[in-house]
Amino acid sequence: MVEMLQRDALRDNLGLEFRRGALVLAVLSQLRGEQYGYSLKKALGEQGLEIDEGTLYPLLRRLEAQGLLRSRWRVEEGRPRRYYRISPLGEQIQRELAADWRALARALDRLLA
Amino acid sequence: MELIDRYVHEVGRHLPRRMRADVQAELRSLLLDTLEERARATGRPADSELVKKVLREFGTPQEVAARYAPQPQYLIGPRLFPAYKMTIGIMALVVAALFLAFFVRGVLKIIHHPADAVNLRAALDVVGKILYTAFFNFGLVTLVFAIVERVQQQRELPGESWDPASLPPVDDPDRITPATHVFSLYAILALAILFNFYPEWVALVGFGKLAGQWRLPLLRPEFSMHLPLLNVWWGLAFALNLLVLRHGRWRRETRWAEFGLGLFSGVVLLLIVTGPPVFRYNRPVKGILLGALAIVVIEAGERLYHLLTRRPSEPWRAAEAGASGEPVD
Repeated sequence: MVEMLQRDALRDNLGLEFRRGALVLAVLSQLRGEQYGYSLKKALGEQGLEIDEGTLYPLLRRLEAQGLLRSRWRVEEGRPRRYYRISPLGEQIQRELAADWRALARALDRLLA
Repeated sequence: MELIDRYVHEVGRHLPRRMRADVQAELRSLLLDTLEERARATGRPADSELVKKVLREFGTPQEVAARYAPQPQYLIGPRLFPAYKMTIGIMALVVAALFLAFFVRGVLKIIHHPADAVNLRAALDVVGKILYTAFFNFGLVTLVFAIVERVQQQRELPGESWDPASLPPVDDPDRITPATHVFSLYAILALAILFNFYPEWVALVGFGKLAGQWRLPLLRPEFSMHLPLLNVWWGLAFALNLLVLRHGRWRRETRWAEFGLGLFSGVVLLLIVTGPPVFRYNRPVKGILLGALAIVVIEAGERLYHLLTRRPSEPWRAAEAGASGEPVD
């Protein structure tokens, strides 16, 4: 039983490591138009990429601090929301990362074949 | 909704002040969005049960704040903690040994002179002082380690442009032992506090058969005239130790600063020795200070000799100048 739990924890950790870098690319890809936190989470979920709040929101702030995103507060339906959008630097980096991703996916496909 | 207010407030308490209001505003908006969406999806009202469920999913306020914090906030981080633990351990051992010695001494005295209640009071008094000193030093050591922690964090920030050419030579005369500098910081701080705030503790302490514990303060009130210069000396020495710790090794400029500081300390000692009497037992204390002055002069001479004769072993200079391609012996 303990071994089984350890195995699952190891599997989860490796999976998380695997996803961490990919999430940045996924988030950047969805911010060509303005989105607020929850709408972005939904948009990612609809494409099959579930991401929990605790990961997504700090990630958005980090990407903004790195200059890859821009944000502004807007009041909609009587509620203030922070809207994020990709910056010119973010767009540039997103294109490069997407190319890296595709090259990596092709290489892995060959390796796993 | 009151629960959300309490939650957001609690998260803010664990965040640095500069980002607090912003994160709180965003978190509130995110929670309300999630709650609204969840109520719509499940077809149930956004009641307190649903609020609790959503908050549980977000995590404890501490967890949420930790995710937002730019870096882990340590008083003393995991890298310095073993050294800190060891220092505190040594201090605890010394205090325990002193404690035990005075306890045994007190018990023996009471056995030999059961009628003499004064002995018990004196013993308790000493134990109290040991405890007070122990807590004082515990605080001081913690403060020094906390300062070093912050200095080390700053040193690590520009680590991305690391150049292998900046690796120090195997036999590096400028390598430092961080523990020595941490101890120096502690000693400087302890000295400064002692002379500035507790000058009456600068004293000879002993035990006599007749008077019990005795203490002879060494400083006259006139000693305070030297405090401004002494404070400058300690302040500069503290800053120099921090700088060396931050660089991670001695550099030519910090070596020169060390030499200059040595000269400065010599001047301060000379002023004290040649000035009006400021000690209660002026002659012997002045004798000790003259000895210290002689050591300072010899050390300064030695440092100057090394500074003028030793080839600078500062590989990062070559790397900075773009000369890292040159053969390095």
